[in-house]
Amino acid sequence: MTQPAVGAVTTETFPKLLLEHARVRGDKVAIREKDLGIWQSWTWKQAADEVRWLACGLAARGFKRGMNLAIIGDNRPRLYWSFAAAQSIGAVPVPLYQDAIAQEMQYVLDNAEIEVAIVEDQEQVDKLLELLPQCPRLKLIVYDDPRGMRHYTQPQLLPYGELRDIGREYDEAHPDFYPTELMAGKPDDVSVILYTSGTTSRPKGVCMTHRAFIDAARGDVGFDGFDDSDEILSYLPMAWVGDHLFSYGQALVAGFTVNCPESSDTVMTDLCEIGPTYYFAPPRVFENLLTQVMIRMEDASRLKRWLFDKFMAVARRCGAEIMDGKPVGPVNRILYSLGDVMVYGPLRNNLGMSRIRVAYTGGAAIGPDLYRFYRSLGINLKQLYGQTETAAYVCKQPNGESRLDTVGTPLPGVEIKIADKGEILVKSPGMLKEYYKAPEATAETITAEGYFRTGDAGFLDSDGHLKIIDRAKDVGKLNDGTMFAPQFLENKLKFFQFIKEAVCFGDGRDRVCAFLNIEMQAVGNWAERNGLPYTGYVDLAGKPEVYALLQECVDKVNADLAREESLAGSQIRRFLVLHKELDADDDELTRTRKVRRGYVAEKYAPLVDALYGGADHCEIETQVKFEDGRSGVIAADVKIRDVELVPPAEHRKAA
Amino acid sequence: MEHSRSLGEPILSMDEISLSFGGVNALSNVSLHVREHEILAIIGPNGAGKSSLLNVINGVYHPSKGTVTFKGATRAQMRPHEAASQGIARTFQNIALFKGMTVLDNIMTGRTLKMRAGFFWQCIYVGKARNEEIEHRHKVEEIIDFLQIQSIRKTPVGRLPYGLQKRVELGRALAAEPDLLLLDEPMAGMNIEEKEDMSRFVLDVNDEFGTTIVLIEHDMGVVMDLSDRVIVLDYGRKIGDGTPDEIRSNQDVIDAYLGVTH
Amino acid sequence: MGPFIEVLIAGLMAGVLYSLVALGFVLIFKASGVFNFAQGAMVLFAALSFVRLMEFLQNTFAPILLSLAITIVIMIVLALLVERLVLRPLVNQPPISLFMATLGIAYFLDGLGQSIWGSDIYTLDVGIPKEPLLLFESVFEDGILVSSEDLVAALVAGVLVAGLAVFFQRTRIGRALRAVADDHQAAQSVGIPLNYIWVIVWTVAGLVALVAGIIWGSKLGVQFSLSLIALKALPVLILGGFESVLGAIIGGLIIGAGEKLSETYLGPLIGGGIEYWFAYVLALAFLLFRPQGLFGEVHIDRV
Repeated sequence: MTQPAVGAVTTETFPKLLLEHARVRGDKVAIREKDLGIWQSWTWKQAADEVRWLACGLAARGFKRGMNLAIIGDNRPRLYWSFAAAQSIGAVPVPLYQDAIAQEMQYVLDNAEIEVAIVEDQEQVDKLLELLPQCPRLKLIVYDDPRGMRHYTQPQLLPYGELRDIGREYDEAHPDFYPTELMAGKPDDVSVILYTSGTTSRPKGVCMTHRAFIDAARGDVGFDGFDDSDEILSYLPMAWVGDHLFSYGQALVAGFTVNCPESSDTVMTDLCEIGPTYYFAPPRVFENLLTQVMIRMEDASRLKRWLFDKFMAVARRCGAEIMDGKPVGPVNRILYSLGDVMVYGPLRNNLGMSRIRVAYTGGAAIGPDLYRFYRSLGINLKQLYGQTETAAYVCKQPNGESRLDTVGTPLPGVEIKIADKGEILVKSPGMLKEYYKAPEATAETITAEGYFRTGDAGFLDSDGHLKIIDRAKDVGKLNDGTMFAPQFLENKLKFFQFIKEAVCFGDGRDRVCAFLNIEMQAVGNWAERNGLPYTGYVDLAGKPEVYALLQECVDKVNADLAREESLAGSQIRRFLVLHKELDADDDELTRTRKVRRGYVAEKYAPLVDALYGGADHCEIETQVKFEDGRSGVIAADVKIRDVELVPPAEHRKAA
Repeated sequence: MEHSRSLGEPILSMDEISLSFGGVNALSNVSLHVREHEILAIIGPNGAGKSSLLNVINGVYHPSKGTVTFKGATRAQMRPHEAASQGIARTFQNIALFKGMTVLDNIMTGRTLKMRAGFFWQCIYVGKARNEEIEHRHKVEEIIDFLQIQSIRKTPVGRLPYGLQKRVELGRALAAEPDLLLLDEPMAGMNIEEKEDMSRFVLDVNDEFGTTIVLIEHDMGVVMDLSDRVIVLDYGRKIGDGTPDEIRSNQDVIDAYLGVTH
Repeated sequence: MGPFIEVLIAGLMAGVLYSLVALGFVLIFKASGVFNFAQGAMVLFAALSFVRLMEFLQNTFAPILLSLAITIVIMIVLALLVERLVLRPLVNQPPISLFMATLGIAYFLDGLGQSIWGSDIYTLDVGIPKEPLLLFESVFEDGILVSSEDLVAALVAGVLVAGLAVFFQRTRIGRALRAVADDHQAAQSVGIPLNYIWVIVWTVAGLVALVAGIIWGSKLGVQFSLSLIALKALPVLILGGFESVLGAIIGGLIIGAGEKLSETYLGPLIGGGIEYWFAYVLALAFLLFRPQGLFGEVHIDRV
């Protein structure tokens, strides 16, 4: 028996929503975590108690209204509770990306004037302790997992369990404290500060109010009809707006169950065990899943492979149409149901997607094959569009209107305007209040009419769907005036399983050239199957056979581009395969794995010069940082390939 | 990383141990003590008798002369499974895992000696035996958590990369909650990152569980960082015994071993 | 259709019996990597002991149960002796030495059995019904004729196999057995006593031999040729893989059914006798194209 989402009367802040759930569905599971191989669960009532004790514990240690609480770690129930605990005593939670290095954290800790932090484990504690000299304000570090912490004696440290006990005692001594504090919360108080990852500049703290986030979450819940019977697996960074919206905002509005994986390595297994009904993943995760399926299929018996190929062809033909309720012939219908029993069903089960009602992707463009693959399996994969500043609440594809090249229609309450240069302007219920301590930035980003400048270039098509082309500032021009949308090209390249990353150059130049990164696993497997020996990444990336393989991919992209009149001129004319994987640790990618094009161009200037200078190879040495913080040098002789231009007109006739 | 702990009384003493195979002396008159909670490294050139020494401790070889005293009991002969039941666990130079079994099952076998229900009566998987199984499973899960191998819990070990297999083997040895842990070249064939991981686990084991560890290792950097004390063997004789710093400056050792480039 | 199914069922039933013998081999091979040549001799020895004990005890209150119990004890003692006298002294020797040792055990057992129990042909009657049953009369014309003896045999084999599967997969001792099968040295280091494991494996193999002996014996009479059915088990093993319990079952069924079907349908064309060589030809084909058998493990050694 499912119950409706919590009513709006007493629920204008998140802590009040939590109390309401504890009252309405107190014995229903609110959150699960896999620990020591077993799924542990907490009901809404238990969760509300945990939050209460935690809040009291923080208060007992001098944490007060108006202060900010840093939260760092993988998705853990106790960290989610920390959000609510901070909010219920009028403080503001500030989640940090858990894989950031200490130096990257320092800015946020300073900017948000953090005095208290709740972190997951030793790894995060070490980072904060390292920053103590630079951040003398930090006076309390609470840690969840005591493993390895035995010999730590710093006075700032406190285990989570102890804080909780302190809170329990405090609550018994001051039973009125918590309810009074909680009721003092107002909907227009800031509920969370989410720092943007900052592709180019310093991170900015986006201040969201309870009202904005709850309205956005409520809009989503209404749009997709989520209720308390839904299940979600929370595995994306807690500092990212998406996770905060799905696992915190929507969960607290709809009352569904949040599941925390055992560790970041076990997400696949945990997904299978939980079988969520609602799932979000960025395109690269969907891509990894598909790659794994394909690799396993390569090893499967010939009969299984044959069945898989045959039925996947059927699915490609009519799977998505059947799901969208479009007319499909009886033969295909019968074949599809047969395939469902023999291939799609088991496959969905293997992917942990048997129970999925709604799956979303967003944040980057998704490849056509990828998109088609999941849709044709009967997984309702749709796209959404939004930013941190809009609580990720701008556009979503309605059921039955999922399309590859759009990000959906504006959600209820959202207004969209297209400014000059194609920039998308948004007014959303989930809009930011301001950037933290940065009034100029706020003024720059919000127009006089109250629209948020997304910085994305796009347009609304005739069906009212929004289409994104590129970052507004990234859209450039070749010297002959042809439009050059680098991210668009790079995404097309990355759709191939052999290409992990691509960086395209062309703005203010005569032609388009590209850096490519091989996908080690896929290319490695391909090499093994073809009896191509190699000693490692650098060697494999430099093999002529691999160049030939990637050239095929580039040719296909060019053929695609040749079909679009406005893009035919931006075909890729030369490319090289980088000797090193682009890495966030070397600042070549952002933490959300977006390419820092300018930085890459600067770092690999000799290679760029060689691409445009006409050389057919280039020797280069590159500094790299290993995971443990040491650095080394990779030297390689990188070869460069020319690519044939596909004549636009001729190709169109052929196609 | 600096680590300090209180070293206790000798847990293992070997007196005047000699061992020979068909006239070749693998060990001659080797005496040593292993103190409680310490990490002792045994080093020496190939064929110096390091593995033989470990095999004597573990009961695989029976010394032709000398005595072994473990936890106060001086023993004559014993077989490996008896050594195991007295609290000696080990890993092997060439990983000896049960390749067809999952990681979980492999580590569960490490609990064999902790199972109280009689060996013959465990056939019936009900009642008491079942509860016991759950109890052991919990302990094994703690080890899986400790070694951070949750994601491969259900994977057959034969399919794992080498470094992870080594880690699973350590897990199986830990499952026995040993007093003395013997590691035969725990880092052989690993890359730098895997070696660092393994070093950290060895230190953590020693730290968290207070386990006494005797290890054989070729990587001098690892040995010097990791161990409290180092014993050097050469042609079956003990030629050095002291802290890593003492060993570094011991002329005999330098001549016999460290001076030789490997 | 009716006659075809009849032949098929008869073949499958015979196959079950092959499987039973093959199972004994698989058990020992799994646990010690040794091909136990004495398995056939153990079948004969067990059957002989059983049938002769039944004769001696025929006036007691329950001759079958008593002699069954005594034979089981005999097989356990046998396992203990084999471990103590043969396996223990040969520990850490190459598999070929152990194989030769099992050859010795086979001859010894053949001789011992016949000198203690005599070497005549003994009929064995444990009360398995012998009348054929007529099934599915409503579905097929003339129904399908099934030997009830075969049916009982199949049932017993099924129960045995299910029991063994549970034993291997679900119990701790099964895990210990698999551990020993994988790596002797490692198994010892975690405290698994190798000797007990061997005793257990040989005991189980002995019990399987006893069951096979009783069923075969009541069908063909207990006689020396029983020890030769080991030869029939060989192609079954090649087909199913030496390490797979499931393989032994499926292999047995395929060979049983294949024999009978080819005899009935190909026999008239190429002149009979197919039953006697069909299994070996099939095994040969498997050796050429899939040497690990249907369910055997492909050994990939990592370096």
